[in-house]
Amino acid sequence: MSTAADAAGTTPSIPRPARRGPADVPFGFPTPALAGELAARRGEPDWLRDERLAAAAAYDALPSESNLLYTPYIDLRGASLDGVQPYIVTASGPVAGAEGTLPDGTAGLIELREDGVAALVLEPSLVAAGVVLETFASALSRDDAGFRAALQSGATLQLDDKFAQLARGFWNQGVHLHVPAGVKVDRPILVRWAVGQPNRAVIGRMLFRLDEGASASVVEELVPSVTGVQPAQALMAGTTEVILGTDATLAFASIQDLAPTQIVFQHRQALIGEAAMLRWALAQMGSRLVRSRVDNRLEGDRSEVEQVEILFGTEDQLFDLTSYTRHVGRDTTGNLLSKGALLDSARSYMKGMIVIEKSAVGSDSFLGEYGMNLSKKTRAVAVPSLEIDQPDCRRAAHSSAVGPIDEAQLFYLESRGIPPDEARKFIVLGYLEPVVARVPLVEAQDMLRELLEEKWAAGLVAPSTAA
Amino acid sequence: MTSTRDLVSDRRDEYAFHDDIVYLAETKRGLTRDTVEEISRFKNEPDWMLQYRLRAYEHFLKRPMPTWGGRLSDIDLGKIVYYRKPSEREEKSWDDVPDKIKATFERLGIPEAERKFLAGVGAQYDSEVVYHSVREELTKIGVVFMGTDQALIEYPEIFRKYFGTVVPAEDNKFAALNAAVWSGGSFVYVPKGVEVPLPLQAYFRINGENTGQFERTLIVVEEGARLHYIEGCTAPIYATDSLHAAVVEVIALPGSKVRYTTIQNWSNDVYNLVTKRAHAYENSTVEWIDANTGSRLTMKYPAIYLRGENATADIISVAVAGRGQHQDTGAKAVHLAPNTRSRIVSKSVSKDGGRTSYRGQLKVSPGATNVVASVRCDALMLDDESRSDTYPYIDIQEDDTTMTHEATVGKISAEQVFYIMSRGLSENEATNLIVQGFLEVFTKELPMEYAIEFNRLVKLEMEGSLG
Repeated sequence: MSTAADAAGTTPSIPRPARRGPADVPFGFPTPALAGELAARRGEPDWLRDERLAAAAAYDALPSESNLLYTPYIDLRGASLDGVQPYIVTASGPVAGAEGTLPDGTAGLIELREDGVAALVLEPSLVAAGVVLETFASALSRDDAGFRAALQSGATLQLDDKFAQLARGFWNQGVHLHVPAGVKVDRPILVRWAVGQPNRAVIGRMLFRLDEGASASVVEELVPSVTGVQPAQALMAGTTEVILGTDATLAFASIQDLAPTQIVFQHRQALIGEAAMLRWALAQMGSRLVRSRVDNRLEGDRSEVEQVEILFGTEDQLFDLTSYTRHVGRDTTGNLLSKGALLDSARSYMKGMIVIEKSAVGSDSFLGEYGMNLSKKTRAVAVPSLEIDQPDCRRAAHSSAVGPIDEAQLFYLESRGIPPDEARKFIVLGYLEPVVARVPLVEAQDMLRELLEEKWAAGLVAPSTAA
Repeated sequence: MTSTRDLVSDRRDEYAFHDDIVYLAETKRGLTRDTVEEISRFKNEPDWMLQYRLRAYEHFLKRPMPTWGGRLSDIDLGKIVYYRKPSEREEKSWDDVPDKIKATFERLGIPEAERKFLAGVGAQYDSEVVYHSVREELTKIGVVFMGTDQALIEYPEIFRKYFGTVVPAEDNKFAALNAAVWSGGSFVYVPKGVEVPLPLQAYFRINGENTGQFERTLIVVEEGARLHYIEGCTAPIYATDSLHAAVVEVIALPGSKVRYTTIQNWSNDVYNLVTKRAHAYENSTVEWIDANTGSRLTMKYPAIYLRGENATADIISVAVAGRGQHQDTGAKAVHLAPNTRSRIVSKSVSKDGGRTSYRGQLKVSPGATNVVASVRCDALMLDDESRSDTYPYIDIQEDDTTMTHEATVGKISAEQVFYIMSRGLSENEATNLIVQGFLEVFTKELPMEYAIEFNRLVKLEMEGSLG
């Protein structure tokens, strides 16, 4: 494993993997030696080295699914990543505030590849206001103590989750956004990850800190850096760690449209302070296998989270999406909606858990999980669960439904002269629209709509979906 | 306000007694291969049953204890008496029942009930059916209703054809335990086209400290036949824990209709770990009407496998958990054939620190086209010491399923209580009324005598919760 860096340039090969069980981890690169090597070759301080080693040990010890409730529902067989390796040293790229061109409508941009940062631009007025957009490496050299306080002991990552510990121990890319108290970033910051090189692993962390009264919006685009058929799979393990101070507001949208050879492990964890508000809008379209977990902790009184997630699966894609929402403070609000549309033999697992702790008087919590199976071989699994310790709530409910395209809607559209195929498309895309509408950047909304339409058209071409 | 207490006297003591019975045959405490062989020898069973028991015993040893659901670690399997026979032979007539046992049943009101409307009584005292009466007209129309042990001897062909086909010994740890040491339970056979005019009823009781009760019920309803089977149970209260691990198998052949009603009111030291499952063939209807108010821990998920086209499944599951109780109950509907329908309704009430968990599964297998399914679970929490969980598993593998699922958790609204109190009722009565209304979906499915008894049980449960 010490040859991690050397292996970087070798020709990708696809060794036939030994037959694995559904929950077996499909790669072997994360070892304590690699964690140590990352710290050493990146010139990191001792505390960070210890941090990585602790995480590496936790990674080894944890099962791939820590929640017994879901044990039957983890399936990593679609991943074949024996050959993947991360870059040890990644380029930090241009420093924040450097000259650069911002895409229309944005206030900041950071673009990352497997080997480093390709672009990093932040509007000068924001730099002046004290907003920081930087890599983890820059943060470490700028403010070691402050950054240490934020990162140490993995408070912003799920400690019981093997793959969250993977990110904590083995990250080789990091994005840090800090918005000081009272600063309102009025246009979105764009974070673009362009990945997909065969046999390449990128392990990225993103830490967003919004202090009291601050507000911002972030659009994350996960796009392929490769086109055409790839000789081997690639791995992306990424986190989004959010800390919202009192009255802070963050809108975060993600559009995931990676290559069919991409395997993705995502962790998103949010600590939501008093009267703070977090809005997630997550769209999952690409990749061979996505395993995602979102943890919302409604810590402060009157804190609020809105999470809207869509997935559109075709061919043999598998989406394994879990979300946990924990109500701790008083009068908190959780509103979660997941919607999936599946074609061909795509599969989705939508697992949700709402916990209302005894302290969470006056909670309003709703979880909805909806599926549309459009082909015979699809499979949709939903596990919307509740654990309630405080009955004094405004609402604690979930609902779930799976159904085909509504014949009445189809008939209505056809009666207006819309051809059946077109009508089907309208209904399905309309069904997924709630997430599109919540993307805070018009350009990204348009991109998402286009991607959905393209995917719909491609799905229709596949023989198995012929009506 | 507490004056209404007098209206509802606590009659629990009447059901909490322990008669000193001279046991004629019982096994030593604990479970070994010898225990299993001894039980089979006591019963003079055919060799195939002995072999079946031994195979199940081996599987029981291999199978780990479930780590989900309730807390099972307090069960000491080594302390339990696995077989205890209270009288030498099965009684056909009430006059022949030993006086002591008769006294027990009289306190339960069985003879009276029989005089009134019962078609037959299979009353289980400890591990053996001791009293059994089948009305003459039932015998005439060919309905068989007897102890399972007796059926093994008298109806070997039917018995062997169906025994263990719905719940195989390898199904789960406690089904394996039951298969190894089972004794008692009811056997019902309803011939083709026969409609059993009145509900068949069995009273179950556990007597004797640390007596395990492992009854086995097998119900075969032939084509076009109809049956309503009722079981209700009370048990003496003891300080140490009793284990009840029953298996119920129901075979509903084409066009038949079977309803199985349970009122479970074990004393609060009993572990009630039951596997109930039905196979529903084409055009048949199976209904589980299941209420759990007693026991320390119940883990029971009545299941219906819809094996034939146009079969219908209906499950109503009700649970009430008070201090020290955990009701981990729910339902399973597995759709294996086209045009099948299922409906699951669950209502639970938790109070005084009790815990209710709904755990259910809804599965639509490939090939089961045009399925309509619904799940509804509502939970009422009467105080913030209590807890309520919902764990539904929904797995859809077809493209034309219509499935809806809804769940809510809440408390009794102060407005409702206030409204009823303004009509002259006390707070306790108002709460009682609301809880009874909440559970009415279950109560209204019961024969009148049972509905009265059940409402009384709920009232008793409610007594301690207010004032």
